[in-house]
Amino acid sequence: MTTRERIASQTSPAELPPNVVTLPQTAQLEALYTIIRDKDTKRGDFIFYTDRIIRLLVEEGLNHLPVVPKTVITPTGEKYDGVGFKGRICGVSILRAGEAMEAGLREVCRSVRIGKILIQRDEETAEAKLFYSKLPDDIANRYVLLLDPMLATGGSAIKAVEVLQQAGVPEERIIFINLVASPEGINAFCMKHPTTRVITGWIDRGLNEKAYIVPGLGDFGERRYTC
Amino acid sequence: MLPTTQGAPTHKNHILTSHGRPPWYGPDGLPIHNAFVIGIAGGSASGKTYVAEKIIQSLQSLPSILILSQDSFYKKHNEQELALAFSNEYDFDHPSSIDMELFAQCLKDLKEYKQTHIPIYSFVHHQRLPETKYLYGASVIIVEGIMTLLDPALRDLYDLKIFVQCDSDLMLARRLRRDIQQRGRSVDDVLKQYLRFVKPAFDNFVGPSAKYADVIIPGAANTVAIDLVVNHIRRKLAERHASFRSELSRAQPAIEQGWDAEVSKWPGVVLLRQTPQLKGIHTILRDETTSREDFIFFADRLATLVVECGMDLLPYVPHSVQTPTDAIAHGLKLTAHVCGVSIIRAGGPLQAGLQRVLRDVPLGALLIQSDPSTGEPLLLHTSLPCYILHREQAKDTWVFLLDSQIGTGAAALMAIRVLLDHGVQEEHIIFLTFLISQQGGPNVLRKAFPGVRIVTSAVDELLLMAWSDVDWETGERRRVWKIVPGMGHIGDRYYL
Repeated sequence: MTTRERIASQTSPAELPPNVVTLPQTAQLEALYTIIRDKDTKRGDFIFYTDRIIRLLVEEGLNHLPVVPKTVITPTGEKYDGVGFKGRICGVSILRAGEAMEAGLREVCRSVRIGKILIQRDEETAEAKLFYSKLPDDIANRYVLLLDPMLATGGSAIKAVEVLQQAGVPEERIIFINLVASPEGINAFCMKHPTTRVITGWIDRGLNEKAYIVPGLGDFGERRYTC
Repeated sequence: MLPTTQGAPTHKNHILTSHGRPPWYGPDGLPIHNAFVIGIAGGSASGKTYVAEKIIQSLQSLPSILILSQDSFYKKHNEQELALAFSNEYDFDHPSSIDMELFAQCLKDLKEYKQTHIPIYSFVHHQRLPETKYLYGASVIIVEGIMTLLDPALRDLYDLKIFVQCDSDLMLARRLRRDIQQRGRSVDDVLKQYLRFVKPAFDNFVGPSAKYADVIIPGAANTVAIDLVVNHIRRKLAERHASFRSELSRAQPAIEQGWDAEVSKWPGVVLLRQTPQLKGIHTILRDETTSREDFIFFADRLATLVVECGMDLLPYVPHSVQTPTDAIAHGLKLTAHVCGVSIIRAGGPLQAGLQRVLRDVPLGALLIQSDPSTGEPLLLHTSLPCYILHREQAKDTWVFLLDSQIGTGAAALMAIRVLLDHGVQEEHIIFLTFLISQQGGPNVLRKAFPGVRIVTSAVDELLLMAWSDVDWETGERRRVWKIVPGMGHIGDRYYL
C-alpha cells in the first residue's frame, strides 16, 4: 500500500475549491500528524511537532505572495537571476489557539507585525461574534496571514475575514493558514470568501455531532497551553 | 607484574596523527589496501616499545599510527584467578592469559579500516573493565607484546613481523632496575616472579616464536637494524600511496555515457520544490551585499526546508493512534534510528536546521581540510554519534550527512567512506545540502556511491577552478574549486 493510497483514505473531498492548497502529503508529514493526533502525546512533544507543521504551513503560505524578478551579483562575481519579495505582510491570529502559531510565523518572518482577534460564540444567537480586535494601523496596505489552527465549522474564520475586510483588507490579500480542516469548514469558508487562499496541512474526514473534527487532534489550544 | 613496559603509556592504544589522514580509498570509493600492520614480539624488557617508538619517530611524516598493546587483551578473570592475581600467583606470562580470539578480531577490524572496541585492562584491579575503547582510522598499526607472534590468526594479519632478540641477563637487569625504581618492588619479589613465570614463559613460548619473524632486531645498539626496517616500511607505504594521488580532487566531466544530462533528474538526487519563496531565499543568500545577519537568518530557514525534505526519505510504517475526540487515526511512524554528521565548518547551518526538526538528534562531526600541497582531502578529526560507533547498531542507522555545498565531492567522498567503514549502509546515507553543481561532485559521488541520496535546494551550472588568497602559513596560493554562480564561501559568510 503506497503512502498516496493511504492518504486518499483519510482525505476527503477529492476536488478542492480552487483557492485551497494542502501541504504536499508526504510520509513524513503524515508521521508528524500521527504524533500530534495521539491523545497520549505529551505537551512538550505536541508543541514541538505542531511548530514544525506550522513552519511548513507558513512557508507554503508565503509562496502565494507576489515576487518580482531581481538580479544580484554573487561573491564569485557572477550574476544570479533571482526574485525579490514584494509587498509587506503581517500576521493576524484568532485567539486563543491562533496565538500558538505566532512563534512559528516569527521563525520564518522575523519580527513581523501581528494583530489579534477574539471571536466567540454568542450564547444567545449561537453566532460567531467579535469580542476584541487589535490590528496594525497600516493593515490595509499589507498582505495578511490569518492564523487559526483548526478549521471546523468555519464560523470564526469567516467572521475574522469580515473583520479584516472592515479594516480595509481585500479578501484576496488574506491567506488563511490552519493545521487541520474539515470538508464542511472548507466548503462553508470558500462559499463566503472564495478569493481568500486557504493553506491547510491536512483535511480530515469530517465533524462529529459536537462539531469537533474527526479524527482531529482534540482541542488545540488546550493541548498546547493548558494541559 | 605486567605490564612489562611503562615506556610511553600515552602513546599506546591511541591513534597518533600528525597532519591528518589522506584518502585510503580510490576514486571508486573502495579502500585501495588495508592498514599496514607490524607485529613486534620479544621477551619482557627486551626493548619492544623502544623499537616501536623509533619506528614511529622515523615515520613522522606519515599520519595516523597506532600502537596496539597486547596488555589490553588479558582475559576477564573469575574469582579464583582474581585471588591468585592479587597474591602475585597468577601466571600473566602464559599464552592462555591472553584473549587471542578477541585480539585477532580487533586487529582484523582495524586492518580492514573498520572501527573496533578494544577492552581496557586495569592493572590496579587485575581485571578487564566494563568499558571499552573505540579505535578507528589508523593507516599503520604496530602490535606490541611478548606473545604477539604466537597466535596463527594474529600472524596472518601482519605485513611485517619483528622479533626483538635480547640476552636474558640484559632483560633481567633492565627488569630489576625498572621494577625496583619505578614500581617500588623488592629484589626478592622481582626475582621470584621472574624465575617462576617470566623465564619459563620466555623459554617455552616467547623465545621460540622468533622463528615466525621476518626480521630479528638486536635488543641493544640497534640503530642500523631499525633504520633498515624503517626504510622497508617507507617503501611499502610509498607504493600504496602513489596509486591514487593523481586521480583525486579533480573536477570530473559533467556527463558520463548513458546518464541524463540534468543532475536534478538523477534518481538519487532530490531537488527541493522550486517555489517563489525558495527562489527568494536563494536570491538573498547569493547576493554578495547581503548582511551577515540576514545571511544567517535565511541560511537557517533554508536549512530547515532542506531537512524537512530529507525527512521524507526515511522509512515509515503504518501506525494507528487514538485521538482526544475518541476517533482512531491511521497514520505513519518513523521507525529508524536517525543521526546527523556534519562536515565542519560548512555543515553547521544544516546542523542548526536539523536540530529544529529533530531536536534530540545525535550529532557527529568530521573535520576535513584539503592538503595545501596536493589538494587532497585530509581527515583531521572524527567524532561520531553513538548509533554509529558500534557496528551492529550502525547498520540499522540512517545518517543525514550535512555540508552546505558539494564542490569537487572530495570531502563528501571521504565522509561517506568513514560512515561505510563504520558499517552504515550506503542506502541509509542522505546527503543534505544547499547547493550542488552540474559538474564535479555529484558525478564523483554517483560513480562511487550510487546508493547515497542527495537532497539539495539548487543545482548550479558550473564548477570552476580558481586560486585562493595567499595562505598565511605557506605563503602560497591554493587551487580551489568554486560553484558558479554559487553562494561564495558559505562557512565564512555564516560564521565570520
